[in-house]
Amino acid sequence: MTVDTAPSGSSFHAARRSKFARQLLMGVTVTAIYAFLLTPILIIILSSFNTTSANTFPTDGVSLQWYREFLESPSFISAFQFSAWLGIVAAVGATIIGFLTAYGIVRYMGSYREVAQSIAMLPIMVPHILISISLLILLTVVPIPELAGLIIGHIIICLPFTVAGILASLDGVDPQLERAAWTLGASRMRILWEIVIPLIAPGLFSSLIFAFIISFGDVYIALFLSGPGMTTLPIEIFSYMQWESTPVIAAITTVQIIMIFGLGLIIERMVGLRQIMRI
Amino acid sequence: MNNSGRLFSAFLFGPIGIVYLLFLLAPIGFFLSMSLFRYDAFELYVPTVTSENFERVLTDSYYREIIFRTLKIAFLTCFFSLMLGYPLAYFLARSKSRWRGVLMFLVIAPLMSGIIVRTYGWIILLGQDGAVNKTLMTIGLISQPLQILNTEIAVLLALVHILMPYMVFPLFSALASQDPDVERAAGTLGAGRIRTFIEVTLPLSRTGILMGTALVFTLTAGAVVTPALLGGKDVQMLGQQIYDLILTTLNWPLASAVAFVLVVCQFLIIALYFRGGRHGPM
Repeated sequence: MTVDTAPSGSSFHAARRSKFARQLLMGVTVTAIYAFLLTPILIIILSSFNTTSANTFPTDGVSLQWYREFLESPSFISAFQFSAWLGIVAAVGATIIGFLTAYGIVRYMGSYREVAQSIAMLPIMVPHILISISLLILLTVVPIPELAGLIIGHIIICLPFTVAGILASLDGVDPQLERAAWTLGASRMRILWEIVIPLIAPGLFSSLIFAFIISFGDVYIALFLSGPGMTTLPIEIFSYMQWESTPVIAAITTVQIIMIFGLGLIIERMVGLRQIMRI
Repeated sequence: MNNSGRLFSAFLFGPIGIVYLLFLLAPIGFFLSMSLFRYDAFELYVPTVTSENFERVLTDSYYREIIFRTLKIAFLTCFFSLMLGYPLAYFLARSKSRWRGVLMFLVIAPLMSGIIVRTYGWIILLGQDGAVNKTLMTIGLISQPLQILNTEIAVLLALVHILMPYMVFPLFSALASQDPDVERAAGTLGAGRIRTFIEVTLPLSRTGILMGTALVFTLTAGAVVTPALLGGKDVQMLGQQIYDLILTTLNWPLASAVAFVLVVCQFLIIALYFRGGRHGPM
């Protein structure tokens, strides 16, 4: 903001001083909040290079022994692989269903858009533990394989985010393009495939990544639905931590943090994380 | 709409409809209705109507204490998340800094790293030999390490940390969609900074506050992993009770009654959200 006519000198300086004080206060507050948010993450990364088995901090030296232990542990490695596999399957499922839903909401819901959107957001409003237990009980009544239950559970918790993300991308598509194609005789499926999907490809890709991240970090769905041979990484860590806690967990979670930060940066490059913040 | 249009809508909404109806709503309905069933050690549950599960949850002092503690921790988590999340969301929504993208990423990144990762970070921080105790001892505030793990403080700290981003998102949405001219107008009309904030900015962000509170409340009330790892046996919450009843005690009807209590608490909060949302400015 520019000041056209400077007020009398002293009050002008007073105003500037108070603006400076305000900005300083805001800066200090925000920095403190960021410190609170990031310290636990930084501490994990630093502890992963610990030389002793206790979770002490600061560490005495630097070693990679916990990374070696992670790589040599068959149970953690297979849990990591299973989580990655599950994440990909759930992400593809949630992105396809999310895309169809979001497209329907944008083009066919008209004034009911808000209502439809709220319904699609349902799973974030239900405690995940409840979703998970209910699926477990469903599996005892209906003969569905446990793995399918786990995949469906993960698709359910990812859907609100894929729908919201893809909706935001679709808002940037001019409906005139589709109308033109329709007038020229293209079928609805062809419009979807040849016009809409290429236009929002970055949005679809980042929704895939985001869903993968959610699935990979999930504990609550897997808590009740993972069985022998299909343990996800967070569950493996959780059961390990209930008995002992060594920096091997720090090493594993550091790998996970780096992977997720990398994926997050890809989303930021593709569509910008601002979209995700608009749940 | 013609026939092919109707078919196409079914194609668009069919998958989500099937997933939500068959795998979300129906199972939850079945699980919650189990709270009226009788517990049986051999068959798990007998479908006869009884109110004994609710009577036990609501009269047993053990459960009353846990319900009370869960509500207390949930409210405190909401309160502190709001206190920390609001300045952050306000800063992100108003900032013109070129670092804004990075700063936003730093709010989202901890969220994406998962619950287990962040809970583990707090275990390292708060342990007997953890960074917090070491620091306090170095500067001489305490002579012996404090017992922070396995207390409500530890659970509360970690929950606020884990759930605060969920408060920031809706607040950010609400604040970013506000027209900054409105605030400027209030200033021109002679309102001070504080008055502008209380009478203009705050009411305009009410939807965000309610949405964020509802989200954080839900997530706290259903928390299992964080209280189990940071609170131990002393800080039992509703989520852990349900977990134990389902997987260890195998008393599903009672678990259902406990879950029902949780859902009712949550419904009250969401009802508040919709009331506030409807009368809200957006």
